[in-house]
Amino acid sequence: MGKHPGAGFDATFPLEIPVFAVLGSIGGLITFTSDRTKGVFEYLLAYGVRPRNLFINGLLATAAMSGIILGVALSVGIGLAVDRGVSLNQAFWEALAYYTVPMALAGAFVTSTAGMIWASISTPRTGINGPIGLAPTIGITPTILVLIAAEAAPSSDYYYITGGASLSLILVALALLALSAKLLSRERFLSNI
Amino acid sequence: MNTPPSLRPSTPASSSGRHRIEVQGLSSGYHGKKVLDDVSFTIDEPGIYVVLGPNGAGKTTLFRTLAGVLEPYAGRIEIDGTDSRGSVASPHLQYLSHIDGFPDGLKVDEGLQFYAQVQGVSERDVERVVHLLGLEELRDKFFSELSQGQRKRASIARIFLQERGIYLLDEPTSNLDPKLAREIRDLVLGLSQNDLVLYSSHNLFEAKEIGKYVLALKGGRVGYFGRLSDLRPKKYVIGIRATGAEGVLSASTKKGDYYLQELAGPEEVPKLVQELTAKGVLIREVKEMENPLEDLFA
Repeated sequence: MGKHPGAGFDATFPLEIPVFAVLGSIGGLITFTSDRTKGVFEYLLAYGVRPRNLFINGLLATAAMSGIILGVALSVGIGLAVDRGVSLNQAFWEALAYYTVPMALAGAFVTSTAGMIWASISTPRTGINGPIGLAPTIGITPTILVLIAAEAAPSSDYYYITGGASLSLILVALALLALSAKLLSRERFLSNI
Repeated sequence: MNTPPSLRPSTPASSSGRHRIEVQGLSSGYHGKKVLDDVSFTIDEPGIYVVLGPNGAGKTTLFRTLAGVLEPYAGRIEIDGTDSRGSVASPHLQYLSHIDGFPDGLKVDEGLQFYAQVQGVSERDVERVVHLLGLEELRDKFFSELSQGQRKRASIARIFLQERGIYLLDEPTSNLDPKLAREIRDLVLGLSQNDLVLYSSHNLFEAKEIGKYVLALKGGRVGYFGRLSDLRPKKYVIGIRATGAEGVLSASTKKGDYYLQELAGPEEVPKLVQELTAKGVLIREVKEMENPLEDLFA
């Protein structure tokens, strides 16, 4: 592993991107909650679609949306940096690989899964205490904490903070995935009960 | 709305023949809380089975459980001999929820194409239902732009995409104007010639008009299940609209233009009409004033 990035673009850029990718996942969550409220899931269940497939489709929509944001942000950011002659060292590329991409996808996954479970275990709510209001906060919080911690901590701790956060969020995402199968029963996909 | 030569779709899903729903000891509800408790009935004669009950009696829960949308807590449901758990019986059913169920951001035509794909039917069937429900002018509009009645009409179109032998219709005529409600009832009556139709409604006059059987739910249990024609109101009251009846029927209570007469039963009506006519009363209309279905809510 190369020398850790300094305090410039190559250090902060990999930490900022997951914040945007998590925000991008809200679209998938909005689609899920809208289809639930409008009764689309009720019909799909009646036509034989399994609840698990509805959940997986919600996750795929989220992954697609945050993937687009991730791709565009990386392309534009790196393109501008190269254009302005910023030198991108090996540590920068490593940080993208072990932190930015996994953290962005895991953050989006946590946002959408938490949102879907939240939407499904509560009666339909709107506003900040509804799934669309709360889930992005849950997803973005770790990425912002890492951003602040990496700025405040000694630069030698950069890898521990980013690597630890990335691994932790992936574990949380996997735990939520396991939990979702138990929590997402059929009646949780219905609009008003 | 155009009347097509046939309601029949190009791609029937279920084989023709007699259909059957058998429910035994069914309990169902939400989040562990029972709404239906120990519900049992068997239906296999084609016709419209009107499902009645006050709010919260369990009508929607019954439809959802029969459709496989909800898993029962206990009991057994067999649809054409197939256990309905996990929507396994879905190829035998068409289900109309009281919610429209069209995804956001789709036009009517796109929404119907979406459900045609889900049901595995052709684009020809979408064309057929567009004409059947008179949706030609609405097909290019976004679903969100439609009025309540138009939404309902588009939503109902979905159940005609494919013939499935059993139709579960939860309040199909709510929010519809009288003309369209009549047209929908006529379409459903067409289906009921060969198929089983479970039809919930809060409109007791509509229920009386189209129902062959009544399944009344009360507190999550079956309060009454039988032929509608077997139901008799507690009191048999007729209303007579007539001219020249002032002296003859002056002792009767009047409701609007109608003189009310309580009789022992319909068999007494011809005799009464004869007597009144003999006394010079010009009878314009005689009608039953009590709906026996009202007693099911008592």
